[in-house]
Amino acid sequence: MGLEIHTPYTLPVNDNVPGNDYAFCVELDGQPWFTSKGAMIAYYGNVRFEPLGQTSMPAIVAARFSSPLYSNDWVLAQGQGKLILGDRGFNINSYDLDDGNLTIRASNLLAFQPTLDLKQSIVPGFLTLLGTGKFLASSNGPVMFAEPPLRIDPEALVGWADCPSPSHHFDAGWMQNFLGAARGFLGANSGEERQFDFTGAGTVLIQSSEKVLDDGHLLRHIESQTVTLGQNSLRALHNTIGSQLQQ
Amino acid sequence: MPLELVNSKVVKSTLAPGQNVLARKGAMLYYTGDVHFIPHSMGGAASGMPSMGGVAGMAGRMMSGEHVAMMAAEGQGEVFYGHAGLYVEVIHLDGSSMLTVEADRLLVHDGYLQSSIVALTSQGGVRGAVRGAMTGQGLFTTQLTGQGSVAVLSHGGAIPLQVGPQHPQVVVDPQAYVCHIGNISVDISANVGWRDAVGRGSGEAIQLKMTGTGTVWVQASEQKF
Repeated sequence: MGLEIHTPYTLPVNDNVPGNDYAFCVELDGQPWFTSKGAMIAYYGNVRFEPLGQTSMPAIVAARFSSPLYSNDWVLAQGQGKLILGDRGFNINSYDLDDGNLTIRASNLLAFQPTLDLKQSIVPGFLTLLGTGKFLASSNGPVMFAEPPLRIDPEALVGWADCPSPSHHFDAGWMQNFLGAARGFLGANSGEERQFDFTGAGTVLIQSSEKVLDDGHLLRHIESQTVTLGQNSLRALHNTIGSQLQQ
Repeated sequence: MPLELVNSKVVKSTLAPGQNVLARKGAMLYYTGDVHFIPHSMGGAASGMPSMGGVAGMAGRMMSGEHVAMMAAEGQGEVFYGHAGLYVEVIHLDGSSMLTVEADRLLVHDGYLQSSIVALTSQGGVRGAVRGAMTGQGLFTTQLTGQGSVAVLSHGGAIPLQVGPQHPQVVVDPQAYVCHIGNISVDISANVGWRDAVGRGSGEAIQLKMTGTGTVWVQASEQKF
């Protein structure tokens, strides 16, 4: 096996770097891409990364990126060149949406074309893409596509397309067990008592579960929700957090 | 029903009524069909292991309960397992030999396999305990016997190495050791000199010497989990 050295001409256009599932090459030719902060590994050409707050294309950001909670995690890459992206050594794949919708875990979304609309999902820690265009997602191990009905470990969920009506499912066997129930209420679940249930038409994207959860997104989501809580609820939340910290 | 690899990190088990599959707690990725999960405490003293005392078995249960809790899946459907993005290797047991694996590395196995948790002290006397303590392995390992399949975890994939009859001995790094099958005796070979004591050793002072006939799986990494 010879050592292959890449040049801007041998690097693929919008495809994985040859022989490497963990790096992806995007071609920029005037049309910008939204990329997740820190995803850039290398680039050829003249590429600028602009924070969403101070971009030269505020209209695109305003029209496409309606998720203030995540705006600090994203940049707009624009210019001419070949951009190589990577994420934690995870497998990276590109997906095409054709007038569709797809909801994806925020920490697994790597980049998307501004022809897609980004919205914050109602499910905490997830983002929804709407419209037509390409996006890149990372996953721990190859992505498995499955059709509902199925139930899935929340950590293993990458996302879902169309509308398979996600809901929580609690396994009765675990809940009958008193300890299991207590654990479930405390949120310190280590087993399988809590699952996401998908029914209806659609596709579910699954990865082999990731151990280290990137909980920054979730934390901010929870923080943003606390403004709606009253005094008593806040106090109760404070107590719950206090007792969990002592564990 | 044998376990089937879906990709390098995910294994699928097909459940039929009346059968169950034991897996590491929390390792279920997703399932279809009507499947229930029940917490399962691993039997310490299995009937197939008359030599294991009740005390060691009970201690084993307690240790395993503390460390790697298992759960049983019952019902009808397909269940997919994986853990922390680690690679999965499926090993089929034909009933003639015993698989020894650390409880940490055990992902799934067929419920009708007999499992027992063995204190290393009953395997190799004091040396076994010393091996456990020095290599960072637990003091208890899991042994599986019967006909069926087992999925074990490894960091970066596991490589099977044959031991005997032409190759009577394989020496492995304790951190890279995953599991072994067959009639193999494990011995610690400590080659600790003064250089190691002052931190200038080769870093390979402690090795596991595997002799006999069988297969040893090693991972291409020294990461423990």
